Amino acid sequence: MTAWKDSAYGRRALTILRSRPFLTVAIVAAVWIAASFASRGFGAYGHLRYLVELGAVIGLVAAGQTFVVIAGGIDLSVAAIVTVSAVSLPLLSWQADPTGVTGILAVLVLTTAIGLVNGLGVALLRVHPMIMTLAMATFLQGLLIIIAGGSAVTAENPVVRWLGNARPAGIPAGVLLWVLVSVIVLTTMHATSFGARIFAMGANSLAAALSGVPVTSTTLAVYGISGFTSGLAGVLVLGMNGQGYVGIGDPYLLASIAAVVLGGTSILGGLGTYAGTIPGAILLVTITALITVVNASPGWRSVMFGSLILGLLLLSGREQARR
Amino acid sequence: MSTVPSAGQAGALYWPVQARRNVGVRGLFAVVLAFLFAYGFLFPGLLTASGFAKFTQSWFPLALVAMAQAILMLTGGISLAIGAMVSLGAVIAATTMTGPLGVAGGAAAVALTGLGIGAATGFIVVRLRLPAIVVTLAGSFIIGGAALLILPRPGGAIPEWLSDLLAGNTPAAFVVLVLIVLLWKLYLATPLGLSLYAAGENPVGAYRSGVPVDGARIAAYAISGLLSTGAGLFVAAQTGSGDPVIGAAFTLNSIAAAVLGGIGFLGGQGTMRGALAGSLLLSLMISVMFFLGFTPVAQYVAQGLIIIGAVAIPQFRKVQQ
Repeated sequence: MTAWKDSAYGRRALTILRSRPFLTVAIVAAVWIAASFASRGFGAYGHLRYLVELGAVIGLVAAGQTFVVIAGGIDLSVAAIVTVSAVSLPLLSWQADPTGVTGILAVLVLTTAIGLVNGLGVALLRVHPMIMTLAMATFLQGLLIIIAGGSAVTAENPVVRWLGNARPAGIPAGVLLWVLVSVIVLTTMHATSFGARIFAMGANSLAAALSGVPVTSTTLAVYGISGFTSGLAGVLVLGMNGQGYVGIGDPYLLASIAAVVLGGTSILGGLGTYAGTIPGAILLVTITALITVVNASPGWRSVMFGSLILGLLLLSGREQARR
Repeated sequence: MSTVPSAGQAGALYWPVQARRNVGVRGLFAVVLAFLFAYGFLFPGLLTASGFAKFTQSWFPLALVAMAQAILMLTGGISLAIGAMVSLGAVIAATTMTGPLGVAGGAAAVALTGLGIGAATGFIVVRLRLPAIVVTLAGSFIIGGAALLILPRPGGAIPEWLSDLLAGNTPAAFVVLVLIVLLWKLYLATPLGLSLYAAGENPVGAYRSGVPVDGARIAAYAISGLLSTGAGLFVAAQTGSGDPVIGAAFTLNSIAAAVLGGIGFLGGQGTMRGALAGSLLLSLMISVMFFLGFTPVAQYVAQGLIIIGAVAIPQFRKVQQ
């Protein structure tokens, strides 16, 4: 056998090469290289930067979703929470505060509270996560019509506008936010006892409870985080769009779940990492961009999007055989 | 010495077994009955032939998608593509039935599409080992896109006599539903049907006991597809034309109905009669709220609250015991 495989560095390198996050990064790189040969403007720095900027929104929503999925749940209310955040921000902004920071804080408190209610339903009422979050989405849908009444709202908030449009040192502010969130999420997930408890709970909730994991409060925290990051994504998407309207968050439900699964996190819980979700989010944006380039009818676009996700899942999202 | 029960003994056992399976859904049946009485009291038209026909017609598509979702959940699966399948069934019916294929050909096309797509989904989930939630979520884009390709905007037509037969003043929908329930009972008596619960409750144990787990699960997906596109055909007959996004609401409602009916997410828990009662309750709730003049906003809010309440209360009781 070759010697490098037995050395510590060699083994380390092999583990990284075989890991699911690396596979997803490789797929993204392959798609980017192939696409820039096929289409002229695709490989330009400006275009790739734009893709990552779009990916930041999905990445933020998927950050909370990754926590929830690893903990053994699922959050189907993220799209509604993104919309709530984008639509209610102008309403919660104080006239007295010219910077608009209080408005953003108020929105984040609101969306975190929505997430906590999801957590309460799952942990205390023992409603299945899918039902709890779907019902929450239905509930919020009704609430949104009261708040927005079907009309678009405009963001007058300077911080929100900065977040959506500014480019300090050539890097979009949204991407910087995403990098910051990614560092915090990865640290929390892999270097704290809270992170370890989430993995334990997702792998076997009963065993975790018997080993002293506070299941109720951990579940609450996980759904609260999901509400928080979805709220953050809503603020960012409002800044990038300039306008908020009912339905603005709709694309992010499938996108967040697909990014999580494409990144190698098991939908059954207990296994995965946000390090895979990050390239997963960029991969999704890339697919959407490629489909837009093809310039097909809405029907074909929908068919292609679904088929490509399904194809990518076959490459990277398979569950282990159970017997 | 163990004795194999003779045919007579097995027959005598049938009704006690069925009665025991009612235990979990007795409360639900009581609630449904109460709602039915309230509905009949508020709108005495329910007791006339045409009132009964209209009522069962508004229930029928929801009952079908609830069954479609329940059969998957019994095997431990789930589908988020039910709404897209309903839309696809509706547009296929609306584009083929007045064409050269005729009504019979159109119905066959709807049925074959449902069975085919369902079986393909089942194959991907079961044999290629992909999570059902993600496959059907991606599938809903493909199927919804296909519906848009067949009929980009609402249109097409259903022969008038068929609309009158299915959605007119006859209780044809109710008769069809009774037939479907009888067919379900027959299916449960076949080897694949018997395997259904075993495959959902304990797949590994069932596999080791020689139960065709994969076959039972793929068959469940195929039947679920057939029921969904069938619901689409009926919706097209109701409206007289096809609409590529008409099924959107059915995905959530099918899950809600199945869960209200006591079907568990982990597979093998629950009964089809529960799912049907759940769909009836949901349908009653929607029409009562509509007749009482609830705004759509209040309907959303109330529906969300009722679903959570209905799922949470039995759990509460279990915890207290």
